[in-house]
Amino acid sequence: MSLNFFRRVAFGLSPSDKKPDDPLPWALSQLNTVPDLLWPGSILAEKELRKKYGEWVYGDREVLRKKFKNDKDEYKKAKDDLRLKTGERYFELNEHAIRHYQTKYSQQPVFERFWLFWGNHFAISEKDFLAEFSTGPYQREIIRPNMVKTFEEMVHSVTTSWCMIHHLDNSESVGPNSRRGLESRDTINENHARELLELHTVSPSAGYTQEDVIQLAYIMTGWGHKWSRKNLETGDVWFDQEKHQKGDKQVLGVKYKNDAKRELGKVIHDLATHPVCIEFVSTKLCRHFITDEPTSEMINPVIEAWNKSNGNLIEIHKAVIKQAFKYNDTTHKFHPPEIWLMQLSRMFDLNIPLSADRMNYNFKSRPTNRQRQLSWILREIGHSPYRAKQPNGWSDVEADWVSPELLLRRFWFASVELPRLVKSENQLHDFIISCLKNNFDNYESMASLIHQFRFGTTEKDLGRKFGVICNLPGVLKV
Amino acid sequence: MNCTRRNFLIGGSTTLFLSGFFPKLSFASMQKKNLIIISLRGGMDGLTAVPVIGDKRLKKLRKKLILEDVLKLNSDFGLHPKLEIFHELWQNNKAAFVHATNIPYTGRSHFDGQNLMETGAHIPYKEKTGWLGRGLLASDIVGKGLAISLPMPLLLRGVPQNNNFFPSPDFVETKLIDHIYNEFKGDHNELIKSTLDTIRQRPLSMQIATDSDDRKKLAQEAAKQLKDQSGPRVAVFELDGFDTHAAQGGVDGAHADELEEVNEIVKILYENLGQAFDNTLILTLTEFGRTIKQNGGYGTEHGYGSAILMAGGLLKKSQVYTDWPGLKKKELFEGRDLNSTIDSRAVYNSAMSMCFDKDPEFLRREVFWGDDLPDLTEELFKI
Repeated sequence: MSLNFFRRVAFGLSPSDKKPDDPLPWALSQLNTVPDLLWPGSILAEKELRKKYGEWVYGDREVLRKKFKNDKDEYKKAKDDLRLKTGERYFELNEHAIRHYQTKYSQQPVFERFWLFWGNHFAISEKDFLAEFSTGPYQREIIRPNMVKTFEEMVHSVTTSWCMIHHLDNSESVGPNSRRGLESRDTINENHARELLELHTVSPSAGYTQEDVIQLAYIMTGWGHKWSRKNLETGDVWFDQEKHQKGDKQVLGVKYKNDAKRELGKVIHDLATHPVCIEFVSTKLCRHFITDEPTSEMINPVIEAWNKSNGNLIEIHKAVIKQAFKYNDTTHKFHPPEIWLMQLSRMFDLNIPLSADRMNYNFKSRPTNRQRQLSWILREIGHSPYRAKQPNGWSDVEADWVSPELLLRRFWFASVELPRLVKSENQLHDFIISCLKNNFDNYESMASLIHQFRFGTTEKDLGRKFGVICNLPGVLKV
Repeated sequence: MNCTRRNFLIGGSTTLFLSGFFPKLSFASMQKKNLIIISLRGGMDGLTAVPVIGDKRLKKLRKKLILEDVLKLNSDFGLHPKLEIFHELWQNNKAAFVHATNIPYTGRSHFDGQNLMETGAHIPYKEKTGWLGRGLLASDIVGKGLAISLPMPLLLRGVPQNNNFFPSPDFVETKLIDHIYNEFKGDHNELIKSTLDTIRQRPLSMQIATDSDDRKKLAQEAAKQLKDQSGPRVAVFELDGFDTHAAQGGVDGAHADELEEVNEIVKILYENLGQAFDNTLILTLTEFGRTIKQNGGYGTEHGYGSAILMAGGLLKKSQVYTDWPGLKKKELFEGRDLNSTIDSRAVYNSAMSMCFDKDPEFLRREVFWGDDLPDLTEELFKI
């Protein structure tokens, strides 16, 4: 078995990782429990961060805009201060550090790879101030704990999470025959219902119709944030009977009796256990860990594990890893930029993220360049994880990650930025070679490529070494 | 000069006699013609961009989304006030609109819809190439596509050596690129190899570090490249955020902000292309329009028919080209959306035909599998 298995299902081996004797059991044993978050710095709860979100939107919309309505410059100044005070410019940076720290040091790196997968399957795209305050904690508190439960439980948690509801406008959705609908003549917003079908569960291949979307939106009416004058849209999620469409509903041929808030659980059960959903999500898992176009031979064992375990994610993850192991030496997978960066960081023990001490924030001045560095790199290599452009998240196929500029940005990072992230004690040529030896079967030919630069330890020399090494065919993909 | 005799024969010989199509060999056709596509992701609301002021039903159905200060185009149609450059160009026959048009897709999914607007196909995710890429390849125009975005848009895929412009923060040593190129020589990965080829052949001006957040600078650089007689002939811009389920607003809402961005890009291209603007055609592309009615959040839902915004000196005249389906309930698609009476792919096929000097029949077969797409070249473009 080639060493690239450790990058296929994880982030490669760090200089301090012990090389597992038996890779498959090593990988499988990592999936039974949710590892603790290791970040030693501050980790705020979703609810606390949502409160900050509330302070920011309330302070801007309800206070500053009114106070400075005739003075644009003063308004801008006050707004900037509020940004700093509420951490609007800071929390996303901290969330990136938490995420990156986890993939770098976790003793269950395979679990962490699945964490990234599910966070992107149930993606929150760039909207309002979600990336600034909410997407990170959503990944930690909604996605992560559900990874040892069933897929159905995961879908349910996601669908009723504040973050997803805000992301897909479900608070705006009102049943036209509900008390509120009759009074205000407001109607449904289909956005969340459509994406629950299309992206999160059954996908368009289930053949649902516009009427199915409408009916599901009816079922979902009433699920939204609890609005208040002080919290605005950042109140907790609840079920508002006054907005709920009355009457029976029917989705994909199944009837749902008028049953208020209980309708949602029933329809999610049916969607999450639908054979087309199981095939769709199994295919995505195989695409992520095996290859862009997985065959049915690759996917079928995952579907079987899914059926046998009634959607238990631990069992599903294990089946995926077994398939990834089986096809490790005969398939290729091109990794998107963030995973590539995380692998480089772990393999070469790079100086990212910044230490927790230095990530500490005073809520008074702009975050420093060093505090912004990791997030800036992610953005520049084209893969800021909590800012997908659309609700289908980041692409998982090679063609979407290969363009002249996208490749150049990887060359740029590896040759210009990365050398500045090499710890001073790790600059010796021998250290780099030992890292290569840990992770690549052909490390000798890689070493010979950078042999000519072996004596140099200036940034430029390191840039030449890493510029080449990090962009070799066998490093960009497994 | 691009249109050498040899090119002319290779490009046109197979179809020349079959269809009787003969491109006019005027001076204008020897000038390089530019085709620019602006992708509007999320579902552009044709009725916000080009409202039908002649139909009172629109106002009735969209009480909270009414536009004031609509720029008047003719007695039936107006223009969103943020699209002022289109209005200015309209006065000089350099802006026009196709209305009640869409790709033949009615599923209302963004992602299927965007896939189909780029592939031009009927089944989502089946085709791996875009209609523009296939059109370039069929016209033997290789290495002339430029994307103003970080990834390579699906729309342009299908022809090798496309370029994109979205500069990274710093230079990359040429030596390093050569080194990596050598290591990929033996690899099976054709896409990366061809991309590395493109990188090695890029003009130096494209290496200049600039701020890629600055859309203005990007559009300026695109204009500079397009102006160059030996530069790209096709450019693709990407805009997103048209999915306004909530707070869509009228003159100043979320949709207006997006239209303002379209306006900005067209304005920069107009100002920077100079004379070359006369040999340029700009078209927008979107996955679907939006519902007639506003929804619970004062936004609109996914719909069907939308509009194509067009600008450039290659337009025939200022016009709203449409076979207007009407807004009565029974005239709407499924009782809720503006219908589409023109397959937008006919517009794109005709645009490629005119810009690439190719028989539309030939392109229709090569690019769109011979689908029934009427030739609109004479109606819409200068030939």
